[in-house]
Amino acid sequence: MNEKNINCPNITMRLETASVLVNKAIDAVTMNKIQKRNLIWLELTGCSGNIISLLDGADPDFKSLATQMVKIVYDNSLMAAEGEFAMEKLFNMLGKDYILAVEGAVSTKDGGLYNVIGRFKGESITAYRAIKELGEGAAYVIAVGTCASDGGISAARPNPSKCVGVQDLLNRKVIKLPGCPCHPDWFMGTLAYILLFGEPALDERARPLMFYSTLIHDCCPRHPFFEQGVFAEKLGDETCMFKLGCRGPVTRVDCPIRKWNDRVNWPIGDNSPCIGCAMFGFPDKMKPFISYNTT
Amino acid sequence: MNDREFYVNSIFKEMHSTIDSLYVTCNSCTKNTLLNSLRKNISDLSVLLQGAQNDVQKNNTANAPDIISSPNKSFTRAELSRYNGKNGNPAYVAVNGTVYDVTNNAAWAAATHFGLTAGRDVTREFTSCHSGQPILSRLKAVGKIVT
Ligand code: SF4
Repeated sequence: MNEKNINCPNITMRLETASVLVNKAIDAVTMNKIQKRNLIWLELTGCSGNIISLLDGADPDFKSLATQMVKIVYDNSLMAAEGEFAMEKLFNMLGKDYILAVEGAVSTKDGGLYNVIGRFKGESITAYRAIKELGEGAAYVIAVGTCASDGGISAARPNPSKCVGVQDLLNRKVIKLPGCPCHPDWFMGTLAYILLFGEPALDERARPLMFYSTLIHDCCPRHPFFEQGVFAEKLGDETCMFKLGCRGPVTRVDCPIRKWNDRVNWPIGDNSPCIGCAMFGFPDKMKPFISYNTT
Repeated sequence: MNDREFYVNSIFKEMHSTIDSLYVTCNSCTKNTLLNSLRKNISDLSVLLQGAQNDVQKNNTANAPDIISSPNKSFTRAELSRYNGKNGNPAYVAVNGTVYDVTNNAAWAAATHFGLTAGRDVTREFTSCHSGQPILSRLKAVGKIVT
């Protein structure tokens, strides 16, 4: 079912967006046409799923990004430095040129005490403080994943640590790449675009149009079943999962085209309804994830 | 096939080929022309649909209308709550006093929408999220709320 439309120019073009941009950016850096800029990646209140997802990128892959496109100054999962040395690298960037990528929401309760990302000069550095200090001075801020974009799972009811998305704490534009996790292409394509041309075209919720312009439902290979009213009654049925509670009709992103894990498959392709993980309001507003007695 | 069906089919064919062309064109001027042609198709379809609805209404008046599908049916809030889209009941919601059928509306998968469930008056939520958007005109009205 997923192999259909493989010759469609729309799909081919969209599949290549990220790799074309990344290759262009790498060429431009190699030929000294553009600068290799600094990248800070903060892991705040979340599961670190976005950095893991990024490492899983293929064509473009993470290695090209890290070695040829940008200089990764700080990421607590990837860097060799640790403790005070790592924090020094981070805070040394204040006042310099850097692009800030943030994954995870920001815990705000009790001054952000529920998420301490390190210690510097004897003080605990909360996620809240890090985002406040590093957010305003960054050349660009990219919220990677649903938690950073909108609070996501970290802010799900009852939200005991009062988590919020990055935008709620910054008085500046934050480019948002929601998705739980964010697809490696969405991040690498956006970053490459920024390096080459500056801010990409965004929708009214600051999501790059090149990845977030169509609803999952619009490009879903099961859409003909929806139109004909042929609905799955249980998981495993290979028809439209609308009556099971599929959130494809309200989720704006290009999973049906791009797919996941080296473009092998995606949830609907494996008979699982879309749970709207790339939509604002996820998870609370996307529930229930599955329903069986729909008329 | 009557004249109306013939027109509708040819409009659909034209729309499909316009959409195919939209996929392959990179030129924004051509894109706008194609989008305009889609808009014209939509407006032609809505005129034809209006005509068809008028005919149906005429027939319904002649043959005693089905009370459930009549936009004149009255619902108390308690009655509305039965139409929750579960176990064979259709999914209805009320906005500004009118009751709409969302059973097969794509945005209401499993009779739920951004945490809302069918069978309720959702005027407040609708106004805060969709004010000014042409959504209600595309839904099928099935009745009115009485207090
Ligand atoms: S409701 Fe879900 S499964 Fe059905 S066509 Fe839409 S996105 Fe695909």
